[in-house]
Amino acid sequence: MAQTEAELLDNPVAGHPALILRSPDFHAITDAVAEPVERTTPLGWWFFFLPSLALLGLLGVAVSWLFWEGIGIWGLNQPVGWAWDITNFVFWVGIGHAGTLISAILFLFRQTWRTSINRSAEAMTIFAVMCALTFPGIHVGRVWVAYWMFPLPNQMGTWPNFRSPLLWDVFAVSIYGTVSVLFWYVGLIPDLATIRDRAKTPIRKFVYGIFALGWRGSVRQWHHYETAYLILAALATPLVLSVHSIVSMDFAVSLLPGWHTTVFPPYFVAGAIFSGFAMVLTLMVICRTIFKLEHIVTLRHFDYMAKIMLVTGTMVGYAYATEFFTAWYSGNPYELFTFLNRAGGPYAWAYWTMITCNVISPQIFWFKKARTSIPILFTLSIVINIGMWFERFVIIVTSLHRDFLPSAWGYFSPTIWDISALLGSFGLFFTMFCLFVRFLPMVATAEVKTVLPQAHLHGHRGESEREHHPTAPPPAAATETRAKRRFQLPMVPQLPQGPYYGILAEFATPDELSRACARVRDAGFTKWDAHSPFPVHGLHKSMGLRRSRLPWIVLVMALTGAVAGFVLQWWVHTSAYPLVISGKPFFTWPAFIPITFEVAVLFGALGAVFGMLGLNRLPMHHHPLFQSKVFERASDDAFFISIESWDPRFDPAATRKLLESLRPRSVELLES
Amino acid sequence: MSAEHDHVALRPEQVTIPPGHSWNRLPIIAGVIALVGAVACAILGPGNPKQFFFSWLVSFLFFMSLALGALFFVLIQYAAQGGWGVVLRRIGETVFSTIPVMAVLFVPLLFGLHDLFEWSHAEAAEHDALLAWKAPYLNTQFFLIRAALFFAIWSFIAVMYARGSRSQDTTGDHAVSARLRKFAGPAIIVLALTQTFAAIDWIMSLNPHWYSTMFGVYFFAGSWLGFIALLSVVVPAMRGAGLVATIISREHMQDIGKFLFAFTAFWGYIAFSQFFLVWYGNMPEETVFYKERMEGSWLTVSLVLLFGHFGAPFFYLMGRSVKRNGATLAAGGLWLLLMHFTDLYWQVMPALHPEGLSPSLLDAAALMTVGGSFVATASWLLRRHALVPLRDPRFAESLAFENT
Repeated sequence: MAQTEAELLDNPVAGHPALILRSPDFHAITDAVAEPVERTTPLGWWFFFLPSLALLGLLGVAVSWLFWEGIGIWGLNQPVGWAWDITNFVFWVGIGHAGTLISAILFLFRQTWRTSINRSAEAMTIFAVMCALTFPGIHVGRVWVAYWMFPLPNQMGTWPNFRSPLLWDVFAVSIYGTVSVLFWYVGLIPDLATIRDRAKTPIRKFVYGIFALGWRGSVRQWHHYETAYLILAALATPLVLSVHSIVSMDFAVSLLPGWHTTVFPPYFVAGAIFSGFAMVLTLMVICRTIFKLEHIVTLRHFDYMAKIMLVTGTMVGYAYATEFFTAWYSGNPYELFTFLNRAGGPYAWAYWTMITCNVISPQIFWFKKARTSIPILFTLSIVINIGMWFERFVIIVTSLHRDFLPSAWGYFSPTIWDISALLGSFGLFFTMFCLFVRFLPMVATAEVKTVLPQAHLHGHRGESEREHHPTAPPPAAATETRAKRRFQLPMVPQLPQGPYYGILAEFATPDELSRACARVRDAGFTKWDAHSPFPVHGLHKSMGLRRSRLPWIVLVMALTGAVAGFVLQWWVHTSAYPLVISGKPFFTWPAFIPITFEVAVLFGALGAVFGMLGLNRLPMHHHPLFQSKVFERASDDAFFISIESWDPRFDPAATRKLLESLRPRSVELLES
Repeated sequence: MSAEHDHVALRPEQVTIPPGHSWNRLPIIAGVIALVGAVACAILGPGNPKQFFFSWLVSFLFFMSLALGALFFVLIQYAAQGGWGVVLRRIGETVFSTIPVMAVLFVPLLFGLHDLFEWSHAEAAEHDALLAWKAPYLNTQFFLIRAALFFAIWSFIAVMYARGSRSQDTTGDHAVSARLRKFAGPAIIVLALTQTFAAIDWIMSLNPHWYSTMFGVYFFAGSWLGFIALLSVVVPAMRGAGLVATIISREHMQDIGKFLFAFTAFWGYIAFSQFFLVWYGNMPEETVFYKERMEGSWLTVSLVLLFGHFGAPFFYLMGRSVKRNGATLAAGGLWLLLMHFTDLYWQVMPALHPEGLSPSLLDAAALMTVGGSFVATASWLLRRHALVPLRDPRFAESLAFENT
């Protein structure tokens, strides 16, 4: 059933419009996504890669010269002590927010359209955070003592000041970077397995195999995996809000008019999402053309992204308006002066650029024609990024350049080295992104497959009510072993006793697999598993699996992290290194909240990822199932049941007969 | 895909309150409570008019915020084309349909402007440079114009959405959904702006020197959470009373619970950010608000809010089974409603009793009057229409919704 782009966009009030064009099968999606990684490098890629690399070289030169000569090569001076460096930092951190928004928040809101773009948005997040971290790193001047920012006592016996927003930033951004990498990598595991299984050369198989950790796509694995993914999303959501909130506190806890305002945290978050989506849009417009992914990243995705930009752009506009109104309402003459000076002072050009790009221009997205026109989207995505860069510039520089005493007024102009560092950071970003699209699957293959209609089980309504009103007694075997299983780790690897590992049966569709699973479960088998290229919802019920215990691991880890973070700060500031800061007592619990929160999230995320790997007994690079040739398609488009030979009910002939009665495509006896 | 969704076979008694059902008596019961409250106000009020107006303001703000939260809930459902929550929409529509009644309940406050708002005294500005500066905004005429405008706008949106949705019950016309969806975006913007200024006018200006750019967002966070908490109470109550129990399922309760959890965290984030930046900056004209609330018995209330409005419910609502069980979800919702009331009380009352918490019988009397009128109106409206928008194009989708 071929669909056209026009039909796709025909937006009925009811029903879910298709997300993926041309209704491909699972294999077609695997092909489309894996192909850019497998084929020879397209010419267009070099066209982007080489200029990016050149710009990265420029960053190298700019940073080396900066280290050699000092911060004086930049245009910074009194009174503007922060300018392009911090503007660039905030700009890049902001860009980084869309990745997590798409992968975590849209996931929690069940926005399945995210599946086509989340992988590249997450990658973009990581690279943007790398760019962001460059700037505070290089602007400190004495980079050789940058480790003073870490929570370590240094040679002078001093500790960092945990009550400073700049230190919260170090924690927030680096933990955000770490959690983003974890989230991204967890998402990549099944797709790396796909590339591994398709690999034609041993080196490829080896390299991708290492990183795939021996993923077998088993339902027991998916079960913990999906729980881990959900928990990571739940952790990443407050994390992403906290990161830009903390960045905003770099400014807002100060007393500077134009910086000190309470709306900053949510306003910065909205702006971050706004700019991040604009960057995702820029990248996806280019990528889908070069790698021919127009049927996976469709106009519908752009339509949704444009709507989010409209919402966040309008929220940013709301914040601008509130600030302006309150500057007047406060009756504080300095506050009012700052805002009038923004709009009418020497940097008025920057202010009106910001307003035009961020508030006025996205209003065109009220119109569907604009939301689905590639040229308009592409142009606006760049316009918005320019506007959002200017927003940070306006906030930082206009507030600083008019000091309280007119004799200390100044005007900041960038030098060639300011400009080089900014351009160079784009070089770093695009170089990394080019490498990513070349070597890793840039669409979350397993997740995209789940949005195809044939990926869902049919006739599963009412399954959940059964939890509470069981209509059928649970299979006898399951009750028998439940008590024993409770204190047993799942999937304890045991060496098979006989000559066989077990029997593998292949099925064509998720529905057939589900039916077969229910039969195997009811036959009383316990040492068996099902395998699918993507998580099939409801399959764990057909298999009779219990809920994953991962949430408890994460809860304990997160609480440990919270306590550890809080105790560290409390101990440092009351006993190890008490220091009076801004007239506050030594024990100031509110100032400890940001870092406590960040460390809790870090520990929780580590618990989720390593807990998931532990429960799944991964990495396990060798497994008897990998002997099977047909099993290579378990990460592509085929569905399997494997019954292991050490199951008490296992009998080579009888079990084979049972599986053959379930109408599989093929049945295979695997040696151990 | 859309055509077959039109006809979800539902019998009328499945979607309405059947005759003789105990919920039919709710308007009467609530009306009696309102009447008793009004009598109490009439007896106690003249002795202490200042207390009466402040108590009335808190109760008014509480139910007003629930109605505004409901309005936002419904608008966002349309704008985002959400499917799962369609079965809950009628409850939202019922709650925001009380807005015209809330406008009437606002009227008594007009007689107490001088008791409530320092800035309403023309002579106050003569001695206070800040009040003189703010006079173009904070003056009685403009305040009244704004209030009239807010109620006009909110009532307009409320009537438009409630009417549209109800008309669909009989016509099944999909164009209604399309039209309401189209207006949802602009309506949200208008709602956000009016709600912000309402919060400034009715709460922030009680202390006319104080300002916070976050205040509109803070009021929004409270009202949104308040409505979700109300939903968490009403839905299990309806299911328990045998109303729409087959339509609104555990799956919907779990999603309401998730919202309750998420927006508990959101409220905590906004409340903490506002407090934190003011506390850290420590500028006299800003800290005045928190200083009053961090001394004496108001500090206790602040701590109750910290642990009761955020800490405890955050951990309580984390688990899955709590959200899927009607009794536990309703307990969480009821608690958060209490906290939401406490939050508003904490925002308003220190302007009257800076020395410390001093509860008054008038608080209870005003709550009974305003709350009774609110519940009476809402439950009366609930009786008149189907309890779910059964011919919404996404109704079947919502009905079939299941958490994974």
